[in-house]
Amino acid sequence: MEGAKNQRFPKIKIREMKDDYLKFELRETDASMANALRRVMLAEVPTIAIDLVEIEVNSTVLNDEFISHRLGLIPLTSDRAMDMRFSRDCDACDGDGQCEYCSVEFHLSVRCDQDQTQDVTSADLQSTDPTVVPVDVAARSSSSGYDASENRGIIIVKLRRGQELRLRAIARKGIGKDHAKWSPAATVTFMYEPEIRINEELMESLSLEEKNSWIESSPTKVFGIDPNTHQVMVVDAEAYTYDEEVIKKAEAMGKPGLVEIEAKEDSFIFTVESTGAVKASQLVINAIDVLKQKLDAVRLSDDTVEADDQFGELGSHMRGG
Amino acid sequence: MEGGGDENNPIVTVDDDEEDGIVQQYDEEITQEDTWAVISAHFEEKGLVRQQLDSFDEFVNTTMQHIVDESEDIVVHDTEPQKSSTTTKISFDQLYFTKPMITEADGDTATLFPKAARLRNMTYSGALFVDVKKQVTKIGQDCEEEVTEENTKVFIGKVPIMVRSTSCNLFKCQNIEKDLVEHGECPYDQGGYFIINGSEKVLIAQEKMSTNQVYVFKKKQPNKYSYIAEVRSMAESQVKPLRSMFVRLLSKGGCIRVTLPFIQSEIPMAVVFRALGFIPDKAILEHICYDLEDPEMMELLQPSLEEAFVIQSEEVALDYIGKRGSVPGASKEKRIKFAEDILAKEMVPHAVGAGGEGHCKTKKAYYVGYVIHRLLLCALGRRPEDDRDHYKNKRLDLAGPLLGGLFRKLFSKLTKDLKKYAQKCVESGKDVDLLFGINAITITRGLIYSLSTGNWGLLDGAGTRPGVSQVLNRLTYASTLSHLRRLNSPIGREGKLVKPRQLHNSQWGMICPAETPEGQACGLVKNLALMVHITVGSSTDSILEFLEDWSIENFVDISPAVILKATKIFVNGCWVGIHRSPEDLVKDLRQLRREGDVNSELGIVRDIHFQELRLYTDYGRCSRPLFIVENQRLLIKKRDIKNLQQRPEGGKWNKLVTKGYIEYIDTEEEETTMIAMTIHDLVVARSEPEKACSDTYTHCEIHPSMILGVCASIIPFPNHNQSPRNTYQSAMGKQAMGMYATNYQLRMDTLAHVLYYPQKPLVTTRAMEHLHFRQLPAGINAIVAIACYSGYNQEDSVIMNQSSIDRGFFRSLFFRTYRDEEKKMGTLVREEFGRPNRESTVGMRPGSYDKLDVDGFAPLGTRVSGGDAIIGKTTPFAEEECQRLPSKYKGRDHSMTLRQSESGMVDQVMLTTNDDGLRFVKVRMRTVRIPQIGDKFSSRHGQKGTVGMTYTQEDMPWTVEGITPDIIVNPHAIPSRMTIGHLIECIMGKVSAQAGKEGDATPFTNVTVGDIGTALHKCGYQMRGFETMYNGHTGRCLTAKIFIGPTYYQRLKHMVDDKIHSRGRGPVQILTRQPVEGRSRDGGLRFGEMERDCLIAHGAAHFLKERLFDQSDAYRVHVCERCGLIAIANLKKPTFECRRCKTRDGIVQVHIPYACKLLFQELMAMAITPRMLTKEFKPSMENEKKGT
Repeated sequence: MEGAKNQRFPKIKIREMKDDYLKFELRETDASMANALRRVMLAEVPTIAIDLVEIEVNSTVLNDEFISHRLGLIPLTSDRAMDMRFSRDCDACDGDGQCEYCSVEFHLSVRCDQDQTQDVTSADLQSTDPTVVPVDVAARSSSSGYDASENRGIIIVKLRRGQELRLRAIARKGIGKDHAKWSPAATVTFMYEPEIRINEELMESLSLEEKNSWIESSPTKVFGIDPNTHQVMVVDAEAYTYDEEVIKKAEAMGKPGLVEIEAKEDSFIFTVESTGAVKASQLVINAIDVLKQKLDAVRLSDDTVEADDQFGELGSHMRGG
Repeated sequence: MEGGGDENNPIVTVDDDEEDGIVQQYDEEITQEDTWAVISAHFEEKGLVRQQLDSFDEFVNTTMQHIVDESEDIVVHDTEPQKSSTTTKISFDQLYFTKPMITEADGDTATLFPKAARLRNMTYSGALFVDVKKQVTKIGQDCEEEVTEENTKVFIGKVPIMVRSTSCNLFKCQNIEKDLVEHGECPYDQGGYFIINGSEKVLIAQEKMSTNQVYVFKKKQPNKYSYIAEVRSMAESQVKPLRSMFVRLLSKGGCIRVTLPFIQSEIPMAVVFRALGFIPDKAILEHICYDLEDPEMMELLQPSLEEAFVIQSEEVALDYIGKRGSVPGASKEKRIKFAEDILAKEMVPHAVGAGGEGHCKTKKAYYVGYVIHRLLLCALGRRPEDDRDHYKNKRLDLAGPLLGGLFRKLFSKLTKDLKKYAQKCVESGKDVDLLFGINAITITRGLIYSLSTGNWGLLDGAGTRPGVSQVLNRLTYASTLSHLRRLNSPIGREGKLVKPRQLHNSQWGMICPAETPEGQACGLVKNLALMVHITVGSSTDSILEFLEDWSIENFVDISPAVILKATKIFVNGCWVGIHRSPEDLVKDLRQLRREGDVNSELGIVRDIHFQELRLYTDYGRCSRPLFIVENQRLLIKKRDIKNLQQRPEGGKWNKLVTKGYIEYIDTEEEETTMIAMTIHDLVVARSEPEKACSDTYTHCEIHPSMILGVCASIIPFPNHNQSPRNTYQSAMGKQAMGMYATNYQLRMDTLAHVLYYPQKPLVTTRAMEHLHFRQLPAGINAIVAIACYSGYNQEDSVIMNQSSIDRGFFRSLFFRTYRDEEKKMGTLVREEFGRPNRESTVGMRPGSYDKLDVDGFAPLGTRVSGGDAIIGKTTPFAEEECQRLPSKYKGRDHSMTLRQSESGMVDQVMLTTNDDGLRFVKVRMRTVRIPQIGDKFSSRHGQKGTVGMTYTQEDMPWTVEGITPDIIVNPHAIPSRMTIGHLIECIMGKVSAQAGKEGDATPFTNVTVGDIGTALHKCGYQMRGFETMYNGHTGRCLTAKIFIGPTYYQRLKHMVDDKIHSRGRGPVQILTRQPVEGRSRDGGLRFGEMERDCLIAHGAAHFLKERLFDQSDAYRVHVCERCGLIAIANLKKPTFECRRCKTRDGIVQVHIPYACKLLFQELMAMAITPRMLTKEFKPSMENEKKGT
């Protein structure tokens, strides 16, 4: 951090927070920072997901690979993930991935003995670790945020009379870059905060009808009209999707410059939706941690020192100095 | 059922001003929307393979019996004259046809169902029995004795049965889903194919020119003839072969000549008439140009009459014809008899009609006269030349007629063999044993041979047509359906003639305008449109009877002069008489047809201008249903639609036809109708008659989108695409993977692809409901962006979202089935399944055998890879082989190994016995195919592309909502291809996804892009489907707005894993020692002529040598310098010798290709000496040496 002249201190302001949803503002930084955060949230925050399945009996309509794939995609509560080890560099089990530090075992055994079709769901998965369970199961027990009666679990396969599914599954820590099943985020998106300036003078030259049709030209509800003063005003600037429809409309009406819209280069509005593996808020915190680790890794690696020698002045840039 | 259907509310509401306020008035006109209820009724009742089933049923129910009835009795006389003479007469009577049965090796019999036939490689066929009567008449010196023996139900052969036809065991569970599932069938499978030795075979409809029609063609000058009229005539019974007659008008002199069957040279027209007994010029003229006051036509006939002036009697005329027959030097009586026979039996046999032989000469004279009349009309320019490609002149041979023709040949072979046998028995004085004499194998084998190979005809016979029977395509459900509705024109593929390949106006509504292959078969292979009905044909008797009642005038009763004033009536091309008030006749006939009193298939064509009424009852005509219009108003009313919608029971369509709301119109009759395109046209015609296209509409289209076939009906908005794109998609839709049948786990197809998560499309067409595309889809609604984004999607490649792939996007299963059987070697020895033992088996391959279980098969769930044995089998040695090999060896390995380039899991093993009672196994292997770079995908608009790059979610561009595309296609794919439908599908998909409803993309409806755009705008999106997107790598805004939305994509069967191939060194051919060919054999990559040319042009001589020689079949020989022939070399000793020259010196080493060495040796075997002269050849020196 030493020697940074134009160092900035990004600020976060949380607007809305639910277990699986977070909306916050990120200010005083640039797009590279915001995007790095987004990318890390999507691809590099570790979670736990089923990675190895040993099938004992499978007389269902779906084949072994199919069921394994479906099991892998079930989100598991992964609050432990940050502290767990990747099975590839776990010392305790030589990387064959069957120890408490790097893996969680699941069992599933269902047989249908009735005439109706029976669903095998994530609720049938028996975990050996109470902290690592399918997300919907956890939600049901805590009954927070979800409507428990609606929640029937994630369907794995449907059984007919006489069909049976019995298997052992091992969940491991991983990141979304390796496989999407380890991605903790359903959606992470940000937008540049728009700055909208209406040319009041020009606007007043429009009739009410024209004003209305101009407002209507935006697919999202950005502008509104004051019922009393008949003045056009910005109702929700952030609803603007940079579609430029209003600008085009203004030009079509022969009033170019009716409105000026600019994207603020240093303010971002983030929306994070989590799969439930980690809480949305935790996801952001984890992401920042991961990002920090990555930066540390760059700064401390031998390559960087080498690069210093190699590239001279450029090297210090690469170190972030 | 769910989803679409009647209550399918269109997302985009189109103002329908007719709808308001008229709901209660059931007498009101129906709307275009209501026609879908009618269409549903049609498909519910008929399905999509009705033509196949109807045709086969006709064959089973009537044709077979007809053929047996027509066959002549077998009469055998005893040839020994001194003793009493006996006459044996054998006649065939009633046929009996059983449902498919199976007799196991242990003698048990059971009903055979298609599932068992498919799995156990059996033939799904029913047994045919016939009542045979044998009559032996003995005439002794004093007494006459007659013994009649009746054999009931003699087995004469097995006939393959079409699945789901009336003779099929599944017929009784028709459309009862539960029963079908219990029999292991897919409830959506509609049958229409045969099962021959376990493989499903379709009979492709064969197009042919219609017979018994007069065609007049103008000849391109200079030519000997200016006009030619031809008739290819086939009597109704079809017993006699086709006979053609040509009438030609000479360019020089204007004489008219006739070509008769079996007569080598052309006969002057007048001679034919005189031979038929019409001597005076006037009689001849009357039969030709009816109106003797027609100076132009009379003038044209002048030269012909003058030409035949010398022949003025019937006898001379007959002799004239007889002399030109095939038997030279016969006596005059014989010649005349011969000529009479030709005229009576061989010349235009159909013109006699079904009525019998009476007045044969008059009828024929009138018919020949008519042919000449037509020729002259054309020559005078009063009637246009006939159009060979007009669809009214085409007939389609479907399964029924095809099998009928084959059965006729086989049955006559059977009777011939029986006759030979009977003759032998009688001659040797033995009793004729019918059961022994009737060789049932003739019919069984003959039918199976043709159906399994596709060579239509007898095994040894000439004129077999290849490719008539094909293996049913089971790649995807639509491809199966389309295959069952395919059509082939047996015209040479190489022919440069483009006309028969072009889309003809008359094909409207009958043949899909889009679905045809590209390349050699373009336009020759066609597909039926959705609502086509192919006539099965019926006897003309009832029509003739009716005409009799309606007082048509017979030729006997009329004088030729009245023809001019009356209308000529033809039934199936045979002129049966004339009628003076055709208007009433046609009206009554139509009425009867609409009421169902005569066959609804009857074609009624009234040609007012030429005063002809042509009626058709023959098979193979294309016809299609149309609404009947009277007084510019549809006969079908709102109340009928309400009835359709309310009553769930079947037979609704048939009711509409019998009530006379709808009738079937064939291609020829269509020419005489006025058809409104939409119901709206009728409304306009009533309200604003001046704007209407016609004031005499007779019919109305049910829906114009019904002109498309199966594959083209899947395309959304095909009417917005450039037409070849629809053709491309029609071809690609058949390669898309999806769910080809619901019972795929119970089937053992050699190759099968099944999509993990198939989805029904967001944007649908109305026809999809009847194609079951929603139930058995072949694609996924992918979020598609049209953008460049990194450029890894150039030249028709696409970028795919790796995260989506991880989540199961376009994952598919691939199945391959391997089969093997324990073959019998001689009578006692049999091959045996089991794990081969290295100690006691010779010829074992280096690969792995340890995946085999003790029974010789890899157990379920075993992971197998290329080269692993999956079916273990050993063949015991034959006698002589035993002695040659050490005694520890018991047999030779004949195991089946997995294909070299594939791997997977064993999915299913089935062990059973086949038809011959041999043990028989099928092993199915399964692999998951995850999309990867190089796999092929396509939208439904002929926009195919391979994956060029996969990016994970964070690298993909995203919208403000966080949407990342699954697929990114390059914008350059759009402008030159003009697939606007693709773009409209995308925005409609976006609206549909927002509204949670299916979008309707049926062609020829009044949905506009504007409507869709407005709806999209209301959903909060830019109305043209553009969105601002952010670069996934940098987080910056993309400058261009990106067109993004859900588009239905298909995964095509071409995948890199099946194509990837490289080779360093590897196997070579034995003969030439050049690398073998083909990926499956680890072959070399061909360095072809063009590649060679390229290197020559570069002058890269060494590289060329390396490719063609060093890397191919380099070889080394030793050559004697003296004689230039290959010498003996022993490199170990080393000694070199040329025995020919008796020398040990002067042997040199030469590098040549092995193929070259081979050539030299082959030449030597042909007594040609190829010499390799290694020194510079100096002829002068050589001569000098010889001299010394």
